[in-house]
Amino acid sequence: MNSLLIQGKTFLLGEEVNTDINCSSKYLPGKDNAFVSTVAFEKLVPGFAEQIMAQQGGIIVAGKNFGINSSREQAIHILHLMGVQCILAPSFGRQFFRNAINNGLSIIECDTSHIGANEMLDIDLTLGTVRSSSGKEMSFLPLPQEILKIIEVGGLLNFITKHPDWNFSV
Amino acid sequence: MGHTISEKILAKHAQKTSVVAGEVVVCDVDFAMVTDTRASNTIKMMNKLDRDALKFTKNTALVLDHYSPPPHPEAAEIHQKMRAFADQANTHLYDIGDGICHQVLPEGGHLTSGDLVVGTDTHSVTYGAFNALGTGIEGSDVAAVMASGKLWFRVPESVLIHLQGELQPGVWAKDITLYLLGKYKAEGLNYKAIEYIGSAVSKMDIDDRMTLCNHAAELGAKAAILEADQKTFTWLEAHGAKTPSPVYADHDAVYTFKDQLNVSLLAPQVARKHHVDDVVGTDQIDRQAIQFALIGTCTNGRLDDIRQAAHILQGKKLAKGVRMIVTPASRQIYLAALREGLIEILTSAGASFEAAGCGTCVGITNHLVPGNHETVISSANRNFKGRLSNDEADIWLGSAATVAASALTGFITDPRTVVGGTWRNA
Repeated sequence: MNSLLIQGKTFLLGEEVNTDINCSSKYLPGKDNAFVSTVAFEKLVPGFAEQIMAQQGGIIVAGKNFGINSSREQAIHILHLMGVQCILAPSFGRQFFRNAINNGLSIIECDTSHIGANEMLDIDLTLGTVRSSSGKEMSFLPLPQEILKIIEVGGLLNFITKHPDWNFSV
Repeated sequence: MGHTISEKILAKHAQKTSVVAGEVVVCDVDFAMVTDTRASNTIKMMNKLDRDALKFTKNTALVLDHYSPPPHPEAAEIHQKMRAFADQANTHLYDIGDGICHQVLPEGGHLTSGDLVVGTDTHSVTYGAFNALGTGIEGSDVAAVMASGKLWFRVPESVLIHLQGELQPGVWAKDITLYLLGKYKAEGLNYKAIEYIGSAVSKMDIDDRMTLCNHAAELGAKAAILEADQKTFTWLEAHGAKTPSPVYADHDAVYTFKDQLNVSLLAPQVARKHHVDDVVGTDQIDRQAIQFALIGTCTNGRLDDIRQAAHILQGKKLAKGVRMIVTPASRQIYLAALREGLIEILTSAGASFEAAGCGTCVGITNHLVPGNHETVISSANRNFKGRLSNDEADIWLGSAATVAASALTGFITDPRTVVGGTWRNA
């Protein structure tokens, strides 16, 4: 399947979600990613990780500044373990945004105020469209081609292994 | 159409005549830095690549600063791996007590004006004080740089902030950045590159300029850059940096917005507990008692900060019940403070010094955990709940002068009320 086409159920988180506190072992020394993935975001939404894992994945829909204060790539590794396919938010912490791309996690900047919980979304990252099971349609500015390329091959290390010369056009 | 400093630095490093905000470019990187908090992940990422292919090692530094000295076996093990990696790959290594990454890189002559520098820490924006574009990255990025010498960047939108006037005695760059955090809010300049210009910047010494750029991380900035001037060139030359290639913005450069602040009117500022952008003047604070006073970190652990504290506490004692810890940002600063007699002054007043490094900035390093219901005043850059590993303690932020004045009285205190006159240059 084209990794730039995403289908999944929505799970809501609020604004200003700090992934350092809620999705890393920074304050859980000695705990591995597998453990953290079962308790991530627990303080914000009890049972969040359990619910998303029970559905074998999903799409996180959040408010502004998702991933602030966090520069840990680990947050993305944990989100992958939880089965998160994509994150939608009006804005992201800068490093979180970069880490998502570098680790092949789809990430979309858009207005999320009209998206509810438990909706099925069809997302096309290349075209910049979102369609929900309830019939809503919305569009967003697609990420630059170079970034989509990195996401498509599963992250930056895969990309430079395939393209040591950083050639985006092949 | 003209271009900003960030656009010009990125264009030069991408071998392009010009770039525009929003564009993705692949740039040659001048220097890369890895701290001990990210070394495990970075080394893991680098091991995914062909080790023989790593060609950037002579332009890379590994810095053992957060866990300095290591508080638990896991940290000690990370340090062992870092030393082994540095030996094998022939990178630069700064060991325990050498200092904080953002201090040892410029001190070590590893960067100059016009450079593009990346580091595994959000406060890598500090290098903008030298007219270099510094920005934070993570392990995958470092691995890519080590393998290819290059990295992708999204060209940031720039904002121009004109700092007019001159800071009053007792008011510092820290007070400007706290004021701006109150105005724009945390992450309020997310993804942006900030250019600070104006007479207030020209008059600042390098230590204060580094604070100004460093604290832009809390605004969410991708970079914070100053113009280079004679002070910059003198400092760089004294620290053995390469010949500077200063970059200036075009007169018709395009900014998302421009703002101005007359700093002559600015009072010392503090960020109240839990929120770096809940900022008020110290004159608005009514008898807020403190128990811990902390000076240090990459924001305010430099020689000027230690001088401010020593000037306020010379011949005096900390207030009853106050504990004060000073962490010089580097070994060089530690030695300079020693030679100036500042360590004797502060130690006699009741303060304690610890090894140069990130020190009491963040609870993960176990350097300091305050007790329940205790209040900390710190010169650090972050104060969210639990930052020092105790949700039941409060952290306030202020300049080193405000921290020292507060340690003297036992309450959050405007430093101008405890020392008057022209003490700035004392």
